[in-house]
Amino acid sequence: MTYLAMFHWGWLLGAFLIGFCMGWIAVVYRGRSVSRVWIQRLSVIAAVIVGIAIAKVVPGRFGYWLDLGLALFGFYLVGCAIGSWLRDIVVVRQQARAT
Amino acid sequence: MHGFYRWSAKWWPGLIPLAILWVVAAWVSTIPLETDLTARSTAALKNTILDKSQITVAGRDVSFSAEAFSEDGRRSAVSSVEATPGVRLVNDETRLVAEAKPFVWVAERDNVRVTLWGTAPLPASRGRIVEAARAALSGTEVSDRMGLKRGAPVRFDAAAVLLLDQVAKLKEGKAVISDTNISLSGMARDLGGREAIAAALKNLPEGFTVAANDVKAPPYVVQANKDPVTNTLTLSGYVPDNTIHAALASAAGRKFGNEKIVDNLKASIGAPGGFAAAVTTALGALSRLSTGTLVVSDREVKLSGDALYEVAADQIRASLARELPQGWQAKAEVSVKPAAAPVDASVCQQLFVQNLTKGRIRFEPSSASINVDSAGLLDRLVEIAMRCPNVRVEIAGHTDGDGDAAFNQSLSEKRALAVEEYLVKAGLPADRFSTIGYGSTQPIATNDTDEGKLQNRRIEFVVRQAP
Repeated sequence: MTYLAMFHWGWLLGAFLIGFCMGWIAVVYRGRSVSRVWIQRLSVIAAVIVGIAIAKVVPGRFGYWLDLGLALFGFYLVGCAIGSWLRDIVVVRQQARAT
Repeated sequence: MHGFYRWSAKWWPGLIPLAILWVVAAWVSTIPLETDLTARSTAALKNTILDKSQITVAGRDVSFSAEAFSEDGRRSAVSSVEATPGVRLVNDETRLVAEAKPFVWVAERDNVRVTLWGTAPLPASRGRIVEAARAALSGTEVSDRMGLKRGAPVRFDAAAVLLLDQVAKLKEGKAVISDTNISLSGMARDLGGREAIAAALKNLPEGFTVAANDVKAPPYVVQANKDPVTNTLTLSGYVPDNTIHAALASAAGRKFGNEKIVDNLKASIGAPGGFAAAVTTALGALSRLSTGTLVVSDREVKLSGDALYEVAADQIRASLARELPQGWQAKAEVSVKPAAAPVDASVCQQLFVQNLTKGRIRFEPSSASINVDSAGLLDRLVEIAMRCPNVRVEIAGHTDGDGDAAFNQSLSEKRALAVEEYLVKAGLPADRFSTIGYGSTQPIATNDTDEGKLQNRRIEFVVRQAP
């Protein structure tokens, strides 16, 4: 994992930044939300895919691409979480100042 | 926490650029990643001894095929690749190197190159053997056709290196290791090479045995050429040591009293058994020829030339084969020299005196047996007697002053008779000769010195005109 992180740090940083921006926007975004049921279903699918990756079932290049996708997705989620959290702090402060 | 659920429900649009990023990352990074993992896996195997090692990387999965020389080595190699950072799976296609039964290794030498065949146990052994071959056979091309297999006997390398040193002593031939049996065949480069190889094989590593040593040596040759024109005897070739050299030189001096001896003999080991006795006998036969060549090659004696008369030719042919040591072969191509022109009595006397001054008829001590070294001189005396058929010859025996006068008298008479007998056996009519013994009554030198006594012990030929 360390090797992958070192070898792909640029791509992972990219995924993190995309996630950070998405998380930053998501706090004030008024668009469609994914329903809770779908979030749960997608989480199960993600868990299954992670399981497949850990079990090293997919061989060769496809296996590598799966690992790469999951790593990027992981960094994306972390970026989203941090982005949303920071934006939330900013929004709360602005609201406090306005009142 | 509730906020996270709410926000995460709106994170999905970012998945579209993320998917694009994923595709681009996969497109761009796959080949560099595979190249990097290939290099790292290969580096991880750097200190592992393998044959036919091959690494193919697909994504992060490594297909590793190789032939290992032991089960431990094979496992260790697979573990090394598995432990390479970044490697996800290793498709283990390794196996053990085939085992050779019997384990055969061959070093074959011809005129231009040394070819190494068969199998070596490890790449390092193979390298060491090739290096040893280059060192032992500097200047000769070394062709390495060895394969690698398991099953070598213990201390194989040391045995192979020792054999390469022996192959260096061969002109052509081969050395073979078959399990722990060693066999050598071929022709040694130098005289004594066969003996040197046999001696070196005694130092073989423990456990190895010599199954066959069929190395042949170049023929051990001695040549002697008797040239009546320059009146020289030329000796060339080899003698085993200085003692035998001195003995042969001394024998040649006694047998060729009239000739100048040119001694070009060189010392070398490798002489066949009975060498000194055979060469001495052969030199005796040569001394009886007018002109001739003697070639002693290994255990074969080849004598060619002209005897002084017919009976001598027959005697030489018969005695050479008879007197050689057991196991020696004689090949005598002896013809008879054309009879020399007749001479008158005075020339005949002069020739007798000349020959008996330069050489002496030798007898065994206190005996009337003619020493074999005198055969050449006696043959010349026979030839002279044949050139003057109309003269009578008195054969006079003399002794030195030592001992009893009556014994000396008797001894001198017997010695004169022995010489007469030789002449008669050679085909001369007995009635042409008379014998007389003078004992020690007519000394020609002092009897007080050994040199003087030597001169006094003599046979004289006195020509008397036929009645």
